[in-house]
This record gives sequence, structure tokens and C-alpha cells, in this order.
Amino acid sequence: MRIFSGQRAFVLQRISALVLLACIAGIALRLAIGPQVTFTQWRTWIAQPLGASALLLVAAALFIHAWVGTRDVVLDYVQPLALRLTVLTIVATGLTVLAAWTGFIVLTHAL
Amino acid sequence: MRFRIYRFDPDRHAKPQWQDYEVRLAASDVMVLDALVVLKAQDDSIAFRRSCREGVCGSDAMNINGLNALACITRLADLSEPVTLAPLPSFPVIRDLVVDMTQFFAHYHAIKPYMMNDEPPPERERLQSPEERDRLNGLYECILCACCTSFCPSSWWNPTKFLGPAALLQAQRFIVDNRDHAAPQRLEFLDDVYKLYRCRTIMNCTQVCPKGLNPAQAIERIKIELLRRSA
Repeated sequence: MRIFSGQRAFVLQRISALVLLACIAGIALRLAIGPQVTFTQWRTWIAQPLGASALLLVAAALFIHAWVGTRDVVLDYVQPLALRLTVLTIVATGLTVLAAWTGFIVLTHAL
Repeated sequence: MRFRIYRFDPDRHAKPQWQDYEVRLAASDVMVLDALVVLKAQDDSIAFRRSCREGVCGSDAMNINGLNALACITRLADLSEPVTLAPLPSFPVIRDLVVDMTQFFAHYHAIKPYMMNDEPPPERERLQSPEERDRLNGLYECILCACCTSFCPSSWWNPTKFLGPAALLQAQRFIVDNRDHAAPQRLEFLDDVYKLYRCRTIMNCTQVCPKGLNPAQAIERIKIELLRRSA
């Protein structure tokens, strides 16, 4: 796989979409057929290794999907190179900070 | 029948304008191209391309009531009035409904749309099995009318860098042809963030293809083949 060929982004976008789809379907199914979940139950589930891992996986998929999508929009609409690099840097920084914050919250709660 | 036609003559007009026409059509005038020929007799300043008048040459591709189509195979009876005729979107207009196809054909030439095979030719033709021949179905029928590329948002955004659905469908036509031996080089050329991966599977191309082809599927198959080879 060549770097910057577009194939890596294409693959990541599809894999992350599948993870998000499975997550949404799982949550929808749980809410539809299972008993009502309280906030405390969610916290307890996330505090367990399996819950924390699942949430981190979904969060990673979400941020990767957001990055590829935003990058695609920027590649299409922002043509001047300097402006494009600036926008991509801001987006990458923002998503990285949000991802780190998410990881911090989940791990702090789980550990 | 009422028509609204995009008019632009760079020698006479500062900017494009719409011109309304009302024309009496004979019972034998069933397609948009028939009406255009009648309109041309009424106002010979209208410019449009046409040749085969049966959906084979692709010359009379234009935007008809908001969708790209071939004037010669678009039935007037299926259109609401006024029938709006405009040149292919995003292509530079030469005059009225005539557009500049230079960029479109540059992309087409870039994919090397010819058989590449260094082996000496056999005494007769290079034979294919029925299965090998079947792989070309849905690809070889493209008439290069540009309806798809002109209606593709990815081509609007990156007209010079993204090859567009027509050129990519033609590329796939040669990639799957077992008589062509240049598939690796073809795929190597296409493996590019702009040339191929700007396609978002929006599927406008498939919606408007007058030959009923599926360029979006062809592009997806190129991506999958690239993925298979890089795995």
C-alpha cells in the first residue's frame, strides 16, 4: 500500500464505517429490546475492561472516520496549498486533542 | 411546445442568457433532437452538436431539464414544459449547447485506451473464452458522450486531477481484458489520491449514463482490485 495514494484513507474509511455501523446497530438493538439502561449501569459497563475497550474502539473509529471525511472535503474545496495545510493541521490537532481527551476520560473511569 | 435554451456566444454576449422558444412540432418529432432541428430552422443561430441521431455517437449530450442526456434518445413526451436545454455542466462553453471536451479527452487519453500486449500477434485473432468476453460487458459500450463526467461532483471539484467516471470506466475495460497485459501498469497509474480516489460513489454518473452503464461500480472494482493486489 503506497503512502498518500488514497488507498489507506479508502480502507480506513470503510473499516471505521463498519465499526460505527455495528456500534449503532448494537446500541439500537439493546435500547429496543433490552430493559432500560440507567446512567449508573452505563458507567459500570464502561468501567469494565470489555466495555472500556469497546468504547475506545468505537471512539477511534469515529475519529478516524471524521478525519478521512474532513480531509476529503478539504482536498476538494480548499485548493490553495498553504490554506489547505493550515486547515488540515487545525482539523488534525482538534481531532487528536478530542481523541486524547476521550481516551483519558474512559481510561480514568476504567482504571 | 415550449423550450428554454441556454444561449451564449462569446463574440456577442458578455454573459450567458436564457432564451424562450415556442415551436409547433409534427407527430414525427418525438425526440429532443427532432425539436432542436425544428428550432434550428426557426433560428439558425442556435448551436448544438449532433451526428448519428440514434444514441451511438454521443455528440448531442446536453443537460435536459436538469439531467444530462442525449438529445437524440430523450423522448419529448417524457419532459415537462418548458423543456430546459443547457450545455453539459462544468465544461467550458464554446457556444450555446456546444462545449469544449479537451479536458475530458485528455483524461481519456491518459488511461491509454488501447490494447497493450508485447507478445507477437497470433496468426488469427487473440481469442477469448465466453467468460473472458463477458467481463467486458457493461464497459465496452461506453460512447464517450461525457454525460457522466460532466454530472460528477468530484469532477466539478477537481476537473484537471480526477480522471472522471468515463475515463475510469474505460480504464477498467482494459484492466479486465485478458488480451491486455498492462493491468499492473494501469493500476499503478490509477493508484492516486486524485486520479481515482476522489470518487465518493455519489453515483450521478450511473444515474445519467444514456447507455445504462454503471461507472460507479467500475470505479469501485478498480479500488478493490488495487486493494487485492496490495494485500
